[in-house]
Amino acid sequence: MSLRVRLLLLVCSVVAITVGLVTWTVSLSARSAFEAFDRQRASVLMAQIRREVARQGEEVTRRVDRLVGADSFQRIALDIGRRAGDYAPFIGEAAALASAQSLDFLDLVAEDGTVISSAEWPARFGYRHPWAANRSAHEIADAFLQPVELPRDTALGLMTVRRVGAGGRALYVVGGRRLDENFLKSLALPAGMRALLYRNVEPEISKQQLVDSAGTVAQSAQLEPLIARVRQSGRESVETIDWPDGPELIDAIPLTGPGGNVLGVLLLGSSGRELASLLAQIRWRGLGFGAAGLALGVALSFVAASRVTRPVERLAAAAGDVAAGRWETRVDDIVATGEVAALARAFETMTRQLVDQRERLVQAERVAAWRELARRLAHELKNPLFPLQLTLDNLRRARALQPAEFDEVFDESLTTLTTGLRNLNTVIGRFSEFAKMPVPELQRIEPNAIVENAVALFRAQLEAPDRPPIRVSVDLDRSVPPILADAEQLGRVVQNLLLNAIDAMPQGGELLIRTKHDERLFRLAVSDTGVGLTDEERKRLFTPYYTTKQHGTGLGLAIVQAVVADHHGKVWVDSSPGRGTTFHIELPEDGA
Amino acid sequence: MQRFRSVCLALVSACLAIATPRAARPQYGGTLRVEMAATLSSVDPAASATDPAEAAARARLLPLVFETLTRVDEEGIRPALAVSWESLAGGRRWRIRMRNGVTLHDGSSLEPWQAATALRAVEPRWRIDTDGDMLIVELPEPADLPWALADVNHAVVVRATGGALLGTGPFRVERLDASTLSLRAHDGYRLGRAFADSVRVQLNRSPTAQLGDLEAGRADLIGIQPTDARRVTDRGMRVFASRPLELVAIVFEPHRSGDAHARLRRTLANAIDRRTLCDVLLQKHAAPAVTIVPPWLSGRPAQTAAGDRPELSRQDVLALPPEQRELALRVDPADRLALLIAERVAVDAREAGLSLAVQTPTGLAPRPDARLVRVRLPATTPERSLVRALAALGRRVADAISPPGGLDGTTESVYRAEAALADSRIVVPVVHLEDLYAAGEHASSWSSPPVRATGEWDLADVWLKGERP
Repeated sequence: MSLRVRLLLLVCSVVAITVGLVTWTVSLSARSAFEAFDRQRASVLMAQIRREVARQGEEVTRRVDRLVGADSFQRIALDIGRRAGDYAPFIGEAAALASAQSLDFLDLVAEDGTVISSAEWPARFGYRHPWAANRSAHEIADAFLQPVELPRDTALGLMTVRRVGAGGRALYVVGGRRLDENFLKSLALPAGMRALLYRNVEPEISKQQLVDSAGTVAQSAQLEPLIARVRQSGRESVETIDWPDGPELIDAIPLTGPGGNVLGVLLLGSSGRELASLLAQIRWRGLGFGAAGLALGVALSFVAASRVTRPVERLAAAAGDVAAGRWETRVDDIVATGEVAALARAFETMTRQLVDQRERLVQAERVAAWRELARRLAHELKNPLFPLQLTLDNLRRARALQPAEFDEVFDESLTTLTTGLRNLNTVIGRFSEFAKMPVPELQRIEPNAIVENAVALFRAQLEAPDRPPIRVSVDLDRSVPPILADAEQLGRVVQNLLLNAIDAMPQGGELLIRTKHDERLFRLAVSDTGVGLTDEERKRLFTPYYTTKQHGTGLGLAIVQAVVADHHGKVWVDSSPGRGTTFHIELPEDGA
Repeated sequence: MQRFRSVCLALVSACLAIATPRAARPQYGGTLRVEMAATLSSVDPAASATDPAEAAARARLLPLVFETLTRVDEEGIRPALAVSWESLAGGRRWRIRMRNGVTLHDGSSLEPWQAATALRAVEPRWRIDTDGDMLIVELPEPADLPWALADVNHAVVVRATGGALLGTGPFRVERLDASTLSLRAHDGYRLGRAFADSVRVQLNRSPTAQLGDLEAGRADLIGIQPTDARRVTDRGMRVFASRPLELVAIVFEPHRSGDAHARLRRTLANAIDRRTLCDVLLQKHAAPAVTIVPPWLSGRPAQTAAGDRPELSRQDVLALPPEQRELALRVDPADRLALLIAERVAVDAREAGLSLAVQTPTGLAPRPDARLVRVRLPATTPERSLVRALAALGRRVADAISPPGGLDGTTESVYRAEAALADSRIVVPVVHLEDLYAAGEHASSWSSPPVRATGEWDLADVWLKGERP
């Protein structure tokens, strides 16, 4: 991972973590503040709703009092008293009186509890009023909650009972107003809050009994456990309901009748949608700021990285070039300051010194090579020239001999000269041959076959009875595929290595030839158990015309190295004195 | 002193006579404004009514225009255009003497052949001939012809050239459209010209609108519900009632009519407090019903026909499977009175342990278990009244009484049929309702109320007092 990338990641991480932390902290604070505000608002509204219930009860009481105080009602009451049980003419009175006082419920009940007239259920006349069954508990001045039976269902009403004298008898007026969605509509609730009423007038929880200001609540199933809890315990309860569009904090308070029984549950919902919206807003803004910060960080880090890493990258590239042998590489065009500039200057100095040293080394090598060449040439030419010199001296001396003897000497000298010149030509031809190494003609060949042919060439020499025995082991990897190479040159390489190994074991030994195929490379190893090489010999082993043998040309291993190099391969040697030598060759399958 | 007292008394009497409003004496003239809820598509007695409400309206309005040969009153069958009749051949042949000097609406005299033509138009199976002022009627089977001739569809109508329908009643038809029937007094009416010059009947008027018009003085005679009777009388207006002429009953649906539900039906029938229903809700303008034909028509003793509320058997209710205790009673949503009765029945059923839901569907609704129906009963013989009621209640109810012993024209056969129906409890009679009318303060009647016990209107005797507001 480059420095630039690491710098970029570091900046991005810092920005992201910072923004995330800020967003989380702000969200947490906002949530806490909202919840505290919600609790406060809910308690205020609960108090308001209780006051509203009480006010509605007072209003019911006031209307019933106004009704029973009216002269028209007093006349009706007296008339009912006079009728003494014949209440037929009054069956419609309750409806008319209730309509006049805007009461939802109004029952005229005789002293014995018989319904004389009912506004909400006219057909109930003649039967005993439910209130009469528990009269002592309900005969109170203040309004109270009571289930009110209707023809098709049961409602919840805020009721007031008044006793009126009717010609020496008592007449009870039971009036009230319905506690339903209209009551909920009358509540002034702030935005985000809603009120629901559950009328506990059925034995089991019924969704039809749950209403809000718009009527029946569609999604009531999630509220039912809360309602059931309040129904059972008779105490307030709070629960957060998770709706698809956000959470809602629900405060549930029981509405009780005179006997303390739960007749209704008022639910005040405080929507968490605002909080969720705010949190989402914070989150999105955090994401926005984060993204902007990241973009800015990326830009800044890019600029910073450019100022810091570009010279470093340039230096790294230059080092790579130098390592690849491009010594002329320069870094003097790098624009940098401080440590990077010092580093660039040091690199420049270092490369200059390296180039100088290399040139000196090359010159030294070149001189050494010339010296070696000269020595070899001198050595190679000296041997054939010495007989020629002696022959010429003999001829000069022979001029004093008899012609017959001179002719004999002359013929011998001519033969010697001819042989010497042939030897000179041979030496010169070898040098010429090395200089004129041909370009390999690549084609698909079987390398194992090349090795086997080469071993076969030397088999007779190795098995000659007049020389110490050399045991040959050939270990060929049969999975070696055909490779792209020049068969003749590769054969010469193998032959040179075998010859070199045989020469290294004048006292006999063991010769091991192995082939292997690995990672699209053909590998050849030729090992002997000879005396081995010193470090100096190993370093100079592939130098042309360098040899440790008395009659070697010093070109065999040089040719090996040249052929391997022409095939884009690699050759090296493992050896130490007294432990034998192993030559390793690697050649690519496809010749490149 | 005695003379002085006599003079004073004479002066006081004279003053009282002068001070007595002139309107207290009948006077001719004016238009009697009548309103009713039904519609009327035709005034031809031979035409058929489109629904029971129109049939009831025809039974009230057409006799004002077209007279029948006989008529029914509280005492029984009475002559009208016929003055006498005799039965021959065991009731298959009848000789009917026509009244002389009866004038048609066009001023011509009614001839017996014209009456014969009118009867032939509606009864093609009857063989009708004339012999002087006699009509000779031969029936395919023996029947009590005079009662049949009192039906409005047997009214004598003369079809004049041009399509005009001529009758002999106190009024002639002046105009009929979708909302109004206008009648004009027939000067040549055999019982004397009607007091009112004309009658304008406003049709298709809701009960609430009728009541409002009466109270505002825009109507003189309207039909009212029993629940409105007290309101009307409290406002100083008069209420006129017929004898009970309409049956309100619960008819169980087929899936509740089997023997398996017999106990349910019996329990519900016993649970209904009919007396309180009639006295309180219906303001004593109805009679408890335990039979289809009301006692005043059938002659059945009142104590057996409509006894007091029987003792409820709680065991009966508890013995019912829970699903049987729940009943849906369907009521015509437009019928406010039926709805009130049904709700009271539901209260009674609830006290007996049953759960009866009143169903007032305006569209598709679940199948009910029973229906609350109203059936008008003609004031005629018990058998004819029962046959008419059974026709209205449907074949399933009629099948419950036969066999054994169909109706054979005797009162005993009617009793047996009623007993069979009571035993099956497929039909549970609830109440018999009176026809109720309210008259405004300007309308008054001379010698008889405008509505007779049989429900027939006698508007010829109604006169209008003074100026209207």
